[in-house]
Amino acid sequence: MSQCRLSPEKLRALNQKYHVFCEIAEDLGALDEYPPHFHFSAKDNLCARGFQARAGSRILEGYRPPFDATAIARMKRFGGVLLGKTTMDEFGFGTFSTNSSHGIPLNPFDQTRACGGSSGGGAAVTCLLEDHVALGVSTGGSISCPASFCGVFGLTPTYGRVSRYGLIDYGNSLDKIGLMARRPEALRTFLPVIAGPDPKDPTSCTQAALDLSPTKVTRVAVPEEAMANLDRGVEAKFTEALDLIGGGIGIEVKRVKMPSLKYALAAYYIIATSEASTNLARYCGMRFGVQNKNVSQHFNDFFSETRSASFGNEAKRRILIGTYTRAIGFRDRYYLKALAVRQSIISEYDRIFQEADLVLTPTMPFVAPSFDQIERMRPLEVYQADFLTVPPNLAGLPHISMPCGYLNSLPAGMQFVAPHWEERRLLVMAENWNKQFQTRFPEGCP
Amino acid sequence: MPRPDGTREDGSGGEELDARTVKNVARIARLRLTEEEVAQYAKDMDDVLNYFAILDEASDLGRHDFNPVPVSDVLREDEPSLDISPEELRAMMDTYQEMVRGPRL
Repeated sequence: MSQCRLSPEKLRALNQKYHVFCEIAEDLGALDEYPPHFHFSAKDNLCARGFQARAGSRILEGYRPPFDATAIARMKRFGGVLLGKTTMDEFGFGTFSTNSSHGIPLNPFDQTRACGGSSGGGAAVTCLLEDHVALGVSTGGSISCPASFCGVFGLTPTYGRVSRYGLIDYGNSLDKIGLMARRPEALRTFLPVIAGPDPKDPTSCTQAALDLSPTKVTRVAVPEEAMANLDRGVEAKFTEALDLIGGGIGIEVKRVKMPSLKYALAAYYIIATSEASTNLARYCGMRFGVQNKNVSQHFNDFFSETRSASFGNEAKRRILIGTYTRAIGFRDRYYLKALAVRQSIISEYDRIFQEADLVLTPTMPFVAPSFDQIERMRPLEVYQADFLTVPPNLAGLPHISMPCGYLNSLPAGMQFVAPHWEERRLLVMAENWNKQFQTRFPEGCP
Repeated sequence: MPRPDGTREDGSGGEELDARTVKNVARIARLRLTEEEVAQYAKDMDDVLNYFAILDEASDLGRHDFNPVPVSDVLREDEPSLDISPEELRAMMDTYQEMVRGPRL
């Protein structure tokens, strides 16, 4: 049971310090009966009745969906009280949650540093509040990355495991709703709550049944390619973690080669921007959010006016890249090639899973950077920071990030990847690790 | 292989993606850009597209599925229903009587 009695006032005080929520519930009534009730938060690209759903974008200002996303509805039915919507990069476009129009979350371990992205607010709330569970969304690493920077457990299920109904799309073939918590036991509790077929999302209807029965993890594979370009401190903490996995926990660590991984980042950004550029076509000043009152102009001018004024810098950049890579003359070279490369990468993972239960890498190549450092990065450098989180996301494989060490009091993360539909291996691994490793959390609750 | 717009052959050196191409892409995407934005995005896109050229050397199996896991169509009988009231939806949009206002076609 949490030591902290939550109230909207307390959450507002917490939010003033860390900017983790873009909107807070006005009434937490049912939390008086805690337990059995529990608190959770949802990333702002998930629709919830009674809240705006702005996905970090000015263009969705004022949009109040009249329904709950399936994942949110299922959490509420299970006794969940939604504390609020968490801050994020606009439409999920970012690695640090700095591309946010509704507050940039500050890292609970050091407020001069970022929380990671794009589910940054959710990871930070999870770090700050005991017994909290956050609904996050990952397209290319948006759960693993902030989980790593904020020192929590972040589970991204197999593509299609959790219904995307009520999720504001970024990349339809990549988006996955998942969970963040301080302890792996919470992930085991809540994954079955949000998982399962939903007629409102056909991609969730062909999934294998969720089986969380006991299983053994005996061998993990570490690809050589993942060990390049790491910060030396992160590399050292990861190596210590490998020693503990091999020694204390008694799991064999096998070094492998996965040459196709070097193509994952390019394939991912082509598919992601292509899908995003079509998904964002619906934001035109009429149907959702910002309403353009100037209806007397030609429709192209009407659409362009709203979009140009309301999309942020990174959203425009990704729309431009995605429009270019889908264009006649470039489609074969970029978009179709990227789709084919994704299949090759899936095959390579399948080959590794013949000889190992899980694939293991660090989560991010560095610990949470300062806002000054981020300011100096070129867009391509920001994209390249995702080189470890992108491969399983591109392949739709379930994965989990967990803290593996602390570097000058900042958490470093490691990421395990399992075959499609084998989330249970990740949970077993996380529970084993959590018995051997002492996690740390800063003082949060006011 | 040269790009159809003739800006660049491969990932090494060469001039940046030209402003005309960026403006053309922006027009298709219904975005109006300032001259500063055009210059900045030309630079950024050039950087990123050069990086994408790495895929030219990737071998693949020739299959390009649109989803990472097999997804099949799930069909059911059409059943008319009203999940959300039209009034509630119209309240969120610029409307005239029972119609949504839009721009001139």
